[in-house]
Amino acid sequence: MKAPVNVPGIAFTQKAGTIEEYRLTKNGMRILLAHDDSAPVAGAMVTYHVGSRNESIGYTGATHLLEHLMFKGAEKFHPKKGNSLDAVLESRGAVMNATTWLDRTNYYEVVPKDVLPLALEIEADRMRTAAFTEEDRESEMPVVRNEFERGENLPIEALDKAIWATAFIAHPYHHPTIGWRSDIEGVSIERLRQFYDDFYWPDNATLSIAGNFDTQNVLRLVKKFFGVYEKKPGAYPALYTEEPMQEGQRRVIVKRAGSPMLGMAHKIPDARHADIPALMVLATILYDDKTSRLYKAFVDKAYATGVSVFCNRFHDASLFQTYITLTPNMPHKKAEDILLKEYYAIAEKGVTAKELSAAKRSIRVSLSHRTDGPYALLSALNEELAAGDWTQFFTFPEAIAKVTTKDVQRVVRTYFKEDQSTVGWFIPTI
Amino acid sequence: MEHERMNITEYEHGSMRLFAARTGAKDLVTMQGSVLGGHYMLSRALDMVPRLASDVFDAGTKSRNKEAIRMALSARGASMHFSSGGDRTYFSATCLPEDVDFMAKLIAECLREALFPTAELSSQKKRTLAELEESKTKTRGLASNEFFRLIYDRSHVNYVDTLPEYIARTKKTERKDLLSYQKLLGKGGLVCAITGDIVPDVVLKKVERAFASLPGGTPVMTEKKQNTEKPRAKESEIAVPDKANIDVFMGAHVPLTYDSPEFLSFTVLTDMLGGRGLSGGHLMRTIRERDGLTYGIYASAVGFGGRADGALQVGATFSPATYQKAVEATEKEIRVFLDKGITESALQAKKGEMTGKYVVGLATSGGLAGKLHTIGVREKPLSYIDEYPSLIKALSVRDIRNAATLVPWDSFVVSAAGTFENKK
Repeated sequence: MKAPVNVPGIAFTQKAGTIEEYRLTKNGMRILLAHDDSAPVAGAMVTYHVGSRNESIGYTGATHLLEHLMFKGAEKFHPKKGNSLDAVLESRGAVMNATTWLDRTNYYEVVPKDVLPLALEIEADRMRTAAFTEEDRESEMPVVRNEFERGENLPIEALDKAIWATAFIAHPYHHPTIGWRSDIEGVSIERLRQFYDDFYWPDNATLSIAGNFDTQNVLRLVKKFFGVYEKKPGAYPALYTEEPMQEGQRRVIVKRAGSPMLGMAHKIPDARHADIPALMVLATILYDDKTSRLYKAFVDKAYATGVSVFCNRFHDASLFQTYITLTPNMPHKKAEDILLKEYYAIAEKGVTAKELSAAKRSIRVSLSHRTDGPYALLSALNEELAAGDWTQFFTFPEAIAKVTTKDVQRVVRTYFKEDQSTVGWFIPTI
Repeated sequence: MEHERMNITEYEHGSMRLFAARTGAKDLVTMQGSVLGGHYMLSRALDMVPRLASDVFDAGTKSRNKEAIRMALSARGASMHFSSGGDRTYFSATCLPEDVDFMAKLIAECLREALFPTAELSSQKKRTLAELEESKTKTRGLASNEFFRLIYDRSHVNYVDTLPEYIARTKKTERKDLLSYQKLLGKGGLVCAITGDIVPDVVLKKVERAFASLPGGTPVMTEKKQNTEKPRAKESEIAVPDKANIDVFMGAHVPLTYDSPEFLSFTVLTDMLGGRGLSGGHLMRTIRERDGLTYGIYASAVGFGGRADGALQVGATFSPATYQKAVEATEKEIRVFLDKGITESALQAKKGEMTGKYVVGLATSGGLAGKLHTIGVREKPLSYIDEYPSLIKALSVRDIRNAATLVPWDSFVVSAAGTFENKK
């Protein structure tokens, strides 16, 4: 095995698979390096361990609105200096953006390899010196509101928001990452600044770099740009709210123009729980290809035009969700009964060895996509970081390989209980 | 032919062009391909046939039934997808490296001997009809289709009929129509790119053998009639209740094809006006970043497939409360762009962006396969993959301004769908 690179001020901490982990000793920022010289391209991604789970009433959507404001400039790179970060990077071919979700916010650039130092300098610049103003909030708020409005046009997004809000009543997974409309419109610049100062620190961030780079050089640059900051003085705001035990099925209806849709969700544990691999295999057996149980039960019979199954892997306990877009005249109740029958069939009789084998192979192909270019790798690492353990990038496939048919049956029996479910109907008004 | 810099190998055999390239992906192979044969070769009354057929290519062949095909794919964790558009029928697949031979043979088998069983077609028609019903409330599709109806005459290949017409044609489609369409498909114009964790020479031999079993198919694309008519109307608003967002398309027909000498300049012009990214396009910099009137506003060169004369299309999403203001601001900013936006510094920035993003785009199996497929379809030499950046770098401000003169800016139409505040 190749020895880790030695750069003063940067400590090697561990290696898992092909990825090395280091820490900036001055401020505790984690660095993940995944080298791949198959193309003259590299990517950098900063994952901040803050998402909509860190928000509360009055400032739902703040993480996401703040993400937008992070493009307004910082100390070194600022439109008023004629070097806005997006113009500087995009004019050199960067594919760049940022996303926000329940447990994290990430900023990334995939660039021709010679542009990587610039990307690192820009990410370091906005980590602690972002310079957004009330004027920026005023111009950006309608942009974010339009993003919210776009989502509201989609039946699945409207139903999904309703199901999460019904399934979680105390835990902040209750509200959507985009936030409630009134909070998007009303949150103050002071609250957003406070949010930035609460969470945007090197010891609450992971810098991941993938692709074609020289490790020694890149670590020196990381130290030069990010090593100027101290770690956060004081503690991070604690999230102590726990979701109370659900004591009965919950139901929600959304009536709007759109297509009829059924959604059903069951509470499942957090991403690091030992049952998640079996739940992921279950999701694949339920709906992956045209041999899947729900494809045969719904799409093949023209009861539905499409099915989606999500085994969410989040930092905290979340949901296993099934959404079915129904064909006209297919009653919601009938669809609900068919779906439950499919769940019960697995609870009673289990799944076949053939189904298990096919699901594992499909997941293997799906996980292989993570090696296809710097962005795919960084994006997958980002989600593992958000869930709480980046080494699951390697250990999760191993855990999938160990899942048995009995495991799949057991997780259905354990988690697919009516009292722990939330059912949503999207009923078209036209 | 061997393309050393990117380790791409091309194999040309008769009317087939096959490309293969090893990328950094591990344990993954991507295939993207197409053959000539599509709804442009059928009468308008039959234009739902390729779409329906594409959905049931895997529903049984002369060699095996639906279950056998789907189980064979499932057991390998592989996926296969067919679609259609214009002159072509497309296929794509992902699989593990050891299954490339199987995938190529299965794709060829489905194209060659799909049976389109009546029961399967019947079920597919129900799903397609449901999707068409869904489309009645999908604002983006409604506005886009109306855009093409506004700018093209009814006989043009880019004209889009109305949903009731597609619904009626779907209902009338019969199995015999699918079987007739299938006769169009074969080696004619076959292009396939295979990328990922492969040994190119080995893979190409296997894929060539699999596709050699196809019949001759359709030898050439259809001749396209040029659009000559003026826009049907200046504006069209499609009211859909309960929608929080309005989808808008603006633009005009452009008398160019992808073979025109000015086409490359036109694509750069389009990107300067409405490129993606916060700074890459004039409209994002102004309508979004300065005015806060949209989440996204982009300009695209659309409808140029199969050497058709396409259009410049600006697509955006606007809030109902500021819809009119946003449309007017966009119209104004397009004029500002034409007057002041095509400058040497703006062009240099765009060149840097386009050439850099091109390199980034080729760093994935899907991105590389897509580019190779386009090179094959547009009958460019493989060397074009390296030439493209230098062709972009060679363009001058004068070239871009010349391209701008070909766009009938005064004939721009506006097509929108959503809930309009005065029409709830």
